[in-house]
Amino acid sequence: MKRFNWWLAEIVSLSLTPEEWEAVNGDLAESGETGGQALRDVLGLVVRRQIALWKSWRPWLAFLALVVPLGVLLSLVSRMMADGSAIYAWMYLNNWTWTYVTNAGARIDLIRYGADIALKYLALLCWSWTGGFLLGSLSRRTISVNVSLFCLALLLGELLEPPRNLGHWLLCPRPLGQGANGVHGGVYSLAFYSVMFPLILQMLLVVLPSFWGVRQGLRLATLPIPRRTILWTCMIATVAALGTESSVWWQLRTWDVRPNPAPVPHLPSLLPIALLGPLGYWLAKTSWRNERPSRII
Amino acid sequence: MLGEFEYLLLTAAVRLGKDAYGAAIRQEIEAITGRRCSIGALYTTLDRLEKKGFLKTWMGDATPQRGGRAKRMVQVNAKGVQAATSFYNAIARMSRGVSWEAKRTAVEP
Repeated sequence: MKRFNWWLAEIVSLSLTPEEWEAVNGDLAESGETGGQALRDVLGLVVRRQIALWKSWRPWLAFLALVVPLGVLLSLVSRMMADGSAIYAWMYLNNWTWTYVTNAGARIDLIRYGADIALKYLALLCWSWTGGFLLGSLSRRTISVNVSLFCLALLLGELLEPPRNLGHWLLCPRPLGQGANGVHGGVYSLAFYSVMFPLILQMLLVVLPSFWGVRQGLRLATLPIPRRTILWTCMIATVAALGTESSVWWQLRTWDVRPNPAPVPHLPSLLPIALLGPLGYWLAKTSWRNERPSRII
Repeated sequence: MLGEFEYLLLTAAVRLGKDAYGAAIRQEIEAITGRRCSIGALYTTLDRLEKKGFLKTWMGDATPQRGGRAKRMVQVNAKGVQAATSFYNAIARMSRGVSWEAKRTAVEP
């Protein structure tokens, strides 16, 4: 328990600046405090530091404009993609037969569905990375709190599924089309596709790329104004596309629970816009490196 | 005007002189007042006093007993000494004639 408290104190103190981290951990080692006291001391300092930081508008902007909306939107879109691809995953993985490959028509379908799902996953990955990048570059010293809240928003979005059920409660008390009693009920009645598969997708396509983006965002150096403008325009366009994607999803859900669902229009892919964020970063990074080889953004 | 803890911290740093750093100041305050001094209170107050221009801090040497980690050294400057002096004088003037002040002078030679 003592070792665990010390270990926890070290982890908590990582949110301090490197100099303060060194001074505080040195003081604790010198004073010979118990693990529990050390943990309480470090927690006290971290809380005081965070309170001081949250008196500024920047962390609040990052929290209100990024953490909450991004957490909910990414959770929504990830759930939408998990629901959509679960049917094909079930069809091709649980019911695999070589006919899918040997039959020309089935093979074309396999390639088409596979490519469609892969592109959607790529778009989600880009959105997550861009969201994380924005969060990292705007939060800086409050990043530990904002990232924890972001994960909480994702987890709550996934576990409670409020938007999914809200439309149902508001509009019509009958099961959703994609629910366990709907057209694809066979797929969603399996615990793996209704619970595990969305969680796995969220972990691989949202959580990990977001963390990667946060890391890159924290390392972002000051850029010249023109390049900064291009980078932020790309990032904002990507996040706006994410908002569009989830609002379409919301409308589809709303139509889905109406007594007579409206026909679903063919929607253009948002992948090119989703790619803008990472592409803008890559361009800014390479052009910056070409100009100043010693600096890394 | 300083706060009570700010005064204690400045006084401890002056008493310690060249050996004033985080853990030593904390130990000094705890030993003299008999009250626990948390690291959070110590470092946030140090920052506040440094911002007010009463002291300066810098990273010092690392020692083996600190696990090879550097100390945050503290030095009170003239402005800090002036602030502490005026705080002490104000307290001393304010305390003249009150019962606990009379008791203190009776006990101490």
